[in-house]
Amino acid sequence: MLKSVVCHSNDPDSLAAITEVLEQCHDCLSGEIPQAAILFAAIDFDHTLILHQIHQQYPEIQLIGGTTDGEMSSVLGFEQDSLILMLFCSDRITIRAGIGRGISKDLQRAIQTAIVQAKTGHQDPIKLCITFPESLTASAVLILDSLNQALDKQVPIFGGLTADQWRFQQTYQFFGTEVCSDAIPILLISGEILFSHGVASGWNPLGKRGTVTKAYQNILYEIDRKPALEFYHHYLGKMPPSSEYPLAVFDVDESHYYMRAPSGAYDPAVGSVTFFGDIPEGAIVQITETTHDNILTASRRSMMQALETYPGKVPAAALYFSCAGRRQILGSRTKEEYALTQTCLTQALPSCGFYTNGEISPLKNQKISCFHNETFITLLLGGE
Amino acid sequence: MVSEKIDDFTKIQQLEKEKRILIKKLERSEKNCLELEQINQRKEFFLRQIIHELEDSQREVKEKRQLEQTLIELKRTQAQLVHAEKMSSLGQLVAGVAHEINNPVNFIHGNLTHIQQYSQNLLELVQLYQQHYPNPVAEIQGKENEIDLDFLQIDLLQILKSMNIGTDRIRKIVLSLRNFSRMDESDFKSVDIHEGIDSTLLILQHRLKDNRGCSEIKVIRNYGNLPLVECYAGQLNQVFMNILANAIDAIDEVNPKTTQQERKENLSQITISTSMIDLDWVEIAIADSGGGIPESIKKQIFNPFFTTKPVGKGTGMGMAISYQIITEKHGGELMCFSTPGTGAEFVIRIPVQKKVYNLV
Repeated sequence: MLKSVVCHSNDPDSLAAITEVLEQCHDCLSGEIPQAAILFAAIDFDHTLILHQIHQQYPEIQLIGGTTDGEMSSVLGFEQDSLILMLFCSDRITIRAGIGRGISKDLQRAIQTAIVQAKTGHQDPIKLCITFPESLTASAVLILDSLNQALDKQVPIFGGLTADQWRFQQTYQFFGTEVCSDAIPILLISGEILFSHGVASGWNPLGKRGTVTKAYQNILYEIDRKPALEFYHHYLGKMPPSSEYPLAVFDVDESHYYMRAPSGAYDPAVGSVTFFGDIPEGAIVQITETTHDNILTASRRSMMQALETYPGKVPAAALYFSCAGRRQILGSRTKEEYALTQTCLTQALPSCGFYTNGEISPLKNQKISCFHNETFITLLLGGE
Repeated sequence: MVSEKIDDFTKIQQLEKEKRILIKKLERSEKNCLELEQINQRKEFFLRQIIHELEDSQREVKEKRQLEQTLIELKRTQAQLVHAEKMSSLGQLVAGVAHEINNPVNFIHGNLTHIQQYSQNLLELVQLYQQHYPNPVAEIQGKENEIDLDFLQIDLLQILKSMNIGTDRIRKIVLSLRNFSRMDESDFKSVDIHEGIDSTLLILQHRLKDNRGCSEIKVIRNYGNLPLVECYAGQLNQVFMNILANAIDAIDEVNPKTTQQERKENLSQITISTSMIDLDWVEIAIADSGGGIPESIKKQIFNPFFTTKPVGKGTGMGMAISYQIITEKHGGELMCFSTPGTGAEFVIRIPVQKKVYNLV
């Protein structure tokens, strides 16, 4: 059995917010001791203070988390500048946290460290991994490849890259009482855990297609032998490349595509554009666009996919990872995204999520996780 | 008193929280406004570019369509030129052959009268000899027996009569060939339409008889009372030839699939009906007892290069050129009526008198 509790405060003051959150936790848990926690916090909070307050109340808790571009929960719905703490209690499910630091310097080592740490104390095989890696210092595709390799491609990975309210300057990852950057915190879960997921986007390719003639990892230098920045300037004028307009990256027969969103970083001198994920040389790319309705329909579709494939009777918790680009476009309608997911439910479900700089989950009906942009990912959790 | 103080404290705390939230929202709202403006600018520019691309692409498609149309026209013209050249060469050949045959045939036919007269004279002379010298010398008697004089006297005249019929037929065929080719009459001329149809049928005679592996095709002529019609006679005959040849092909195609009994019951036949629609227009209808034309194909039969015949058998130009001859050169109409299983009927309507048309 899995019990989850979601506590949410929209007080911008760090101490007031964590105090309110911990009070909610105390009321909801009725004396139970939580085993693990996920913390989503807006960028402007005093994160160290918040983590220490949590540690003071729950010294043994296995906690990971990160900074966000926006938060959502079953308590307050969609909020910005808020704080969410999700707690898990179970005697048949083991949840352990780990952290890898310095992913831009030695990714393999960081991942190995995190996994070794998070594997400690498990009696059963690992069934699920949740992670919130740094988005601004390393290629998300490489991070995910390494994590997949380290878990022998046997464990589905879910999560989102930490964000900083569209500033693209500094994001933070949380582990226990530690506030890190350039790090990857993970939760490994074993035992009688049940889960399902859904993934949907809502973006569609439009305009001319081009071939990537020069790229290195997540930096795109040339499309059709012209600077990548020119490709974006053609569609957006002299404005910088924006993650609202990701590229559709087509496979060999040009029938399927995945998306890569600009991270906001670009080099006007070289004409390069940096993306949240890698783009291979030779790939056919096309700019994509969307509408409010398409985005919102996709969110509901993601929730429905997860509910339809959930292996148990009723899930005990839901986690949502939605792209910051979606929030950017939806603007004041962002609150509808979370509200729409709730229309699929017949009874209340403790749930929370955050707006990310990139999402992680397997595609529909697949086991190996991929890195996504501009998607809405639903992860349903429950106990057997 | 204490509880009131607690309530006040809670309210103050709540108000302070709300103030903090409002301040944060205010800070954010300025940033949001700026972002919104940028989003709008990006969207505006993006849409403008997409519209430009769409316009370019539409222009390209239009140009491509025009090019494709020109190419189709070019191919059509080329095929028509080739066909016209072929028909012209064929017409010249037919006219040439007809001319070359005409002289010797006339020579033979003209002299046959003399031969007939000389033979008659000689036979009469022989009869006079036999009358006055009933017992000739043995050598003459032997020769009479050798050549079977009695039979020779009867057969010679019959042979001459048969030769007369034969040369007469050759003369008629030559006349039909000249009539069909009309090489001497390339301009508009008033002609007897029935003569043209008959000439065409005579040329196709070998395909109508039953000695070609298929049953005989009966031709029914329901000729009305038509005036002379102003037309390009040679070209009109070419139309008759195309329609009649297709009618024979359609009947031949059905015949192998039917039993002898069925063929007896449903005669293989071509019905040619001519009539006056009004004082200015004539109609020629050619109906066959073939398999008919399915609706899907009917729409295409006048398209250039369209053929249902096996590769190498049909060029797909016959009906297209016929349509052009009737509609563009004569200002008439060429229509096709058919119900699959009950044959097809082609109806030609042309004006009796010449009008001014754009000649191709």
